[in-house]
Amino acid sequence: MNQMTNVKADRLTPMLRVDNLTHRVRLETDTLTILQGVSLEINRGESVAIVGRSGSGKTTLLGLLAGLDTPSDGTVELDGAMISQLSEDERAKLRAHRVGFVFQSFQLLPALSALENVMLPLELAGSESAEGRARELLERVGLGERLNHSPRQLSGGEQQRVAIARAFASDPSILFADEPTGNLDNRTGQSVSDLLMELNREQGTTLVMVTHDEHLAARCSRQFHIEAGVLTEPAAVEELTH
Amino acid sequence: MAAARKLMSVRRDWRERDVRVVLVALIIAVATVATIALFAAQLQRTLVSSASSFLAADRQLEAENGREIPPDWLTEAQSRGLETGRMVEFSTMVFGSGGFQLVSVKAVSDEYPLRGQIETQGAPDRPRDLVRSGPPPGEVWINPRLLRLLELDIGDSLEVGNRNLKVSSLLVREPDGGFRLSALAPRVMMHVDDVTSTGVIQEGSRVEYVYLFAGDDTVIEDYYQWLEPRLEPSHEWEGVRDGETFSRSLERAERFLLLGGSLAVLLAAVAVAVASRQYALAQRDTVALLKTLGVRSRGIGRLYLRRLVLWGVTGVVGGLLVALPLFWLLTRLLSEVLERPVEFHLTPSALLPALLTALVSLFAFAYPPIRRLRDVPAMRVLRSQPGESGRGALADAAIAILAVFGLVWLYAGEISLVVSLLAGLALLLGALGLLGWLLVALLRKVRGGGNAWRLALVGLYRHRRASLSQMAVFAMTLMLAATLVLVRTSLLNDWQAQLPENAPNHFLINIAPDAVEEVGAFWQERGQPLNQLYPMVRGRLTELNGEPVKEAVSKDERIGALNRELNLTWMSALPEDNEIVQGEWFGRDAVDGVSVEAELAERLGLALGDRLTFTIGSEKVTESVTSIRTVQWDSMKPNFYMAFPPDGGLTDMPATWITSFYLPSDEKTALNAFSRNFPTISVLEIDHIIDRIQQIVRQVTQAIEAILALILAAALVVMAAVVSATLHDRQREGALLRTLGGRQSLLVRSTMLEFALLGGFAGVLGVAAAEVAVWALQFRMFEGSFSWHWQVVLPVPLISAVVLAFFGRWQLRPVLNVSPMLLLRRLE
Repeated sequence: MNQMTNVKADRLTPMLRVDNLTHRVRLETDTLTILQGVSLEINRGESVAIVGRSGSGKTTLLGLLAGLDTPSDGTVELDGAMISQLSEDERAKLRAHRVGFVFQSFQLLPALSALENVMLPLELAGSESAEGRARELLERVGLGERLNHSPRQLSGGEQQRVAIARAFASDPSILFADEPTGNLDNRTGQSVSDLLMELNREQGTTLVMVTHDEHLAARCSRQFHIEAGVLTEPAAVEELTH
Repeated sequence: MAAARKLMSVRRDWRERDVRVVLVALIIAVATVATIALFAAQLQRTLVSSASSFLAADRQLEAENGREIPPDWLTEAQSRGLETGRMVEFSTMVFGSGGFQLVSVKAVSDEYPLRGQIETQGAPDRPRDLVRSGPPPGEVWINPRLLRLLELDIGDSLEVGNRNLKVSSLLVREPDGGFRLSALAPRVMMHVDDVTSTGVIQEGSRVEYVYLFAGDDTVIEDYYQWLEPRLEPSHEWEGVRDGETFSRSLERAERFLLLGGSLAVLLAAVAVAVASRQYALAQRDTVALLKTLGVRSRGIGRLYLRRLVLWGVTGVVGGLLVALPLFWLLTRLLSEVLERPVEFHLTPSALLPALLTALVSLFAFAYPPIRRLRDVPAMRVLRSQPGESGRGALADAAIAILAVFGLVWLYAGEISLVVSLLAGLALLLGALGLLGWLLVALLRKVRGGGNAWRLALVGLYRHRRASLSQMAVFAMTLMLAATLVLVRTSLLNDWQAQLPENAPNHFLINIAPDAVEEVGAFWQERGQPLNQLYPMVRGRLTELNGEPVKEAVSKDERIGALNRELNLTWMSALPEDNEIVQGEWFGRDAVDGVSVEAELAERLGLALGDRLTFTIGSEKVTESVTSIRTVQWDSMKPNFYMAFPPDGGLTDMPATWITSFYLPSDEKTALNAFSRNFPTISVLEIDHIIDRIQQIVRQVTQAIEAILALILAAALVVMAAVVSATLHDRQREGALLRTLGGRQSLLVRSTMLEFALLGGFAGVLGVAAAEVAVWALQFRMFEGSFSWHWQVVLPVPLISAVVLAFFGRWQLRPVLNVSPMLLLRRLE
C-alpha cells in the first residue's frame, strides 16, 4: 500500500499512456485488425469516456488498457508501469492494488453474498480488514441492509452498486468501467452513474469508461470516439465549454 | 414442433457435455453389467462342468447292491440324447512276477471318461500324457506303486483272475479320483469287457456298478424325473456342486462379480443423476423460449421423453459394443486353465439386467429432473426465478435410492447386500451432515488473504452447498470403489490363506498302527515333517435313535454320507480349523460320545443327545452326539464327519492311520524310496489338484481385476461428471479472480488445495463407510473373516485428494490460458 501511495504522489507522470497500440486477431483464413495505431494519454484524476458503436473495438481497448490482455503491437504504461512488458502475474499484482473494474453484466459471483463479493479483491490483496472495509463501502452505496443477500436476490441496479463497491474496495488509482449502465433502465442507470461519479470524485480515482451512451459520456471530462478500431479525440470537453 | 424436435437431435445433444456424461455413464453401466452377467452365467456353467470332471461325467448312478441296473435305463438315457458310460469297481488279488497284491480295480467302458481326462505315463521315466479313454480290452493300466510292488515292467502281464492282461501304461491320475480316500489299495484300470472273462465277480462279490451320464442340463433333469421313481435305496444318483474346493472358489468369484456389477450400477446411476440434473438446469432457458413460442407443457414433456429414449438406445447399443469384446477376452482368459473351455456363449437372459439397468438409470435418475422441465415458466425468458434449482432434489433422491436398491436386490439377489450398502450409505450421510455442520462452524471465522490455504478454506466455506453435495457424491463413489477393492483384497487373501505356499499336497493312507513311528521318522529325516496323524476306521452310519437311518431320514434327502462307508476317527484335541458350534468337545477322560460335522448334522436333523449306530465290519457301535462342529473341507488336511474320543467307541476297532504333508515337487523322488520301504501304504498325490486350483484362482483374479478396472473407470466418470457440473461457475470465478488481481500461482494453489481438502474429506468418509459395508458383507456373502485393511484404508483419502486436486487444476486450464477479458465475455 505504501508503494501505491508513493506512486500516487507522483502527480507529474500521466496515469495512462498508450502509444501506437494495435491489436489483431488471427482468424481461420485471415487476420482481423481490431485496433489500429491507438495513442492517448490520461492524467491522474481525469474521467475519460470512450464512445463507439457495437463492434467498434472499445471493449477490446478497455481490456488492453487494464492489462487483461496483451496487444499485438504498441505499449501501454499504467501508473508508471509498462504493462505490455509485464508477465501475467506482475499484471495481476498491479490490478490487485491499483485497478478497479465495473462490468456491464455486473460479474458478481452467485455463490457469494454481497459482502463476500466486495471482500474478494481485498482478500486477494491480502488485506486483514477486508470485512470492515467492505461493510463500509456497501453502506456507502446504500446496501447496508442487504449485506448477506446473494446476487440473485438483488435487482440489477443493486447488483451494479455491489459491483461499484467492489471496484472501489481496493482503493484503486484507476477504475475501468465497461458500459456500467448498459443493462439498466434509464432511471436506475442514472442513479448508478451518479454514484460512480460521486465515488470517483471522493476517491480521486482516474476513470476510464467505455459506453455508447452519449449522455453518460458527456459527464466525463474528456471523450474519445472509436470507429473501426481507430481512436479520435474530437475535442476536450473543457475546450468545448470555454 | 418439427423445428423444436430438430433442436433436440442426438447429434446436437452429443455436443453438450452433460449429455456426453450421461451417455458415457450409461454405456459403462450397461457394459459392466452385461459383461458380468454374461461372464457369471458362463462361469456358472464352467463351474459345473469343471466339477463334472471330478465325476468323469455330469451325473453318476451308483448301484451298490452288486447288481447291474436294468438295460432299459441306459437305452432310455441314450434315446434322450445323453452320453452314457459304464464302470465296474471291485477289489481283488492280482499276481505279477514279484508276488501278489490286493488291488482296487476299476473296469471302464470305451466311453469313459465322459468329462475330464486320464493322466498316464508310458514308463516311470517318461513324460505324462493326458488321454480321453481308458485301456483297450486285453490291457491294464496300473498305479506306479504297483509296478514296484510286483516288480513289473511295462509290457509284462498281470494276472487278474483267469486272465493275463498286458500292462501297457502307468495310471497317474483318473479324473474321478478326487479326494475320495476309498481306494486305499493300489489302482488297476482295465476294460469293462474283460471283467466277465476274469471270473473274479461271483454271486455275492462286493462290487459296485457305476453308470456315467453327460449332456444338456435340462435333458439330464428330465431323465432324472423319469428315473427317480424306479430307483432303489441302494442306488445313488450323484451330481456335482457339493462343496468341491475349487467350485467354492469360483462361487465366491461369481459373487464378487455380482457385487462388482451392483456397484457399477450404483456408480453409473450417480453419474446419470448428477449429469441429467445439470442438463435439466441448463435446458430451462430453452424450455422457457419454446413455451414463449407456443409449445405446450405436454409437448415439452414429449420432446424430452423422446430424447431419453434415444439416450437409452444409444447407451444399450454402445454398452453392448463394449461388453461383447470384453466378455470374449474374459472367456479366453479362463479357457486357458480349464479343461473344458469356457464358451463364448451369449445367454439372452443374461442381457436382461443390462437392459434393466439402462432403463432404471434413465427413468429413476434422469427422468425426474427432466420431467420437471415441463413446469418451467415462460416468464423465465424475461427474468430467472429464484430458488428453481434446488426444488425437488429430495424427492428425486428418494425415488433414485429406492430404484437403485431395488435394482441391486433384483440383480444380486441378496437382501444382505442391499442392507450392507444402505448401512454404509446411511453412515456416510450422517457423517456428511456432521461434517457440513462442522464446516460451517469452524470455517465461518476464517477470513481470506493472499494465502492459498486461507483462500482454499474460505472457498470451501463459501461454496459449502456445492462442496457438501460434491463431497457426498465423491464419498459415495469412493465408498463403492473402496468396498470393491476391500472385498477383492480379502477374497484374494482368503484364497491364499486357504491354499498357502506349502499346503499339504500328499496324503499317506493305510498306515498300519505299528508303522506310524517309522513313517514319521522317514519324512522327518528328509526334512518334510508330517502333519497330525489320525486313526481311521471305516464304518457305516446305520441307525439313528434305534431306527434304520434310511427310514429315519426322508427319502428326498439323498445324503452321500449315508450311502458309503465313512471314515471314522478318534482324537483328543479338536483340530485347529474345526469349530464347535453346539455342545462341548470331549473331556480329558471321555469314554463315550461322538462329534458330528455341522452340515451333515443339519441334513440328518441331528441334535445333541441323538444316538447314532455305526456298523463297523460285523460290530455295531452306538454313541450319543455330544458336539457338533464345523470342518474346513478345503484345508487339504484329513477331515472327518464323525470323531470319537480316544478311549471311546472305536478303541478296539481295527484302524489304520492317515496324514497329510507338504512335499516340494523337486523332492518327489523320495516317494519311490518311501514306497519301497512301506509298500502297503498308499500315497495320494494331490499336488496337481492344488496347482490347478491355484492356477484357476490366479486367472479368476485377473478377471476380477479387469472388472475392477472397469468399475474404477466408472468411478472416474462419476467424479468428472460432478466436477464438470460446477465447471462453468468455477471458470467464471477464476476469470473474475484474475481480473481482480489474483495471481495465477495463487489461483492454482488455492483451487488445488480446496479440491484436495474436498477429496481428502470425501476419501476418509468413503473409506469409513466402505469398512462398514464390507463388515456387513463379509460374513454374509464371502464367509471370510473381517479385518481392517490399512493398506487400502490409508491411501484412499490420499489418492482421492491428489486426483481431485488435479481435477481442480484441470478445470482451471481455460482460466489460465485465455485472457480474463475474453473468458468473462465467453462465460457471460
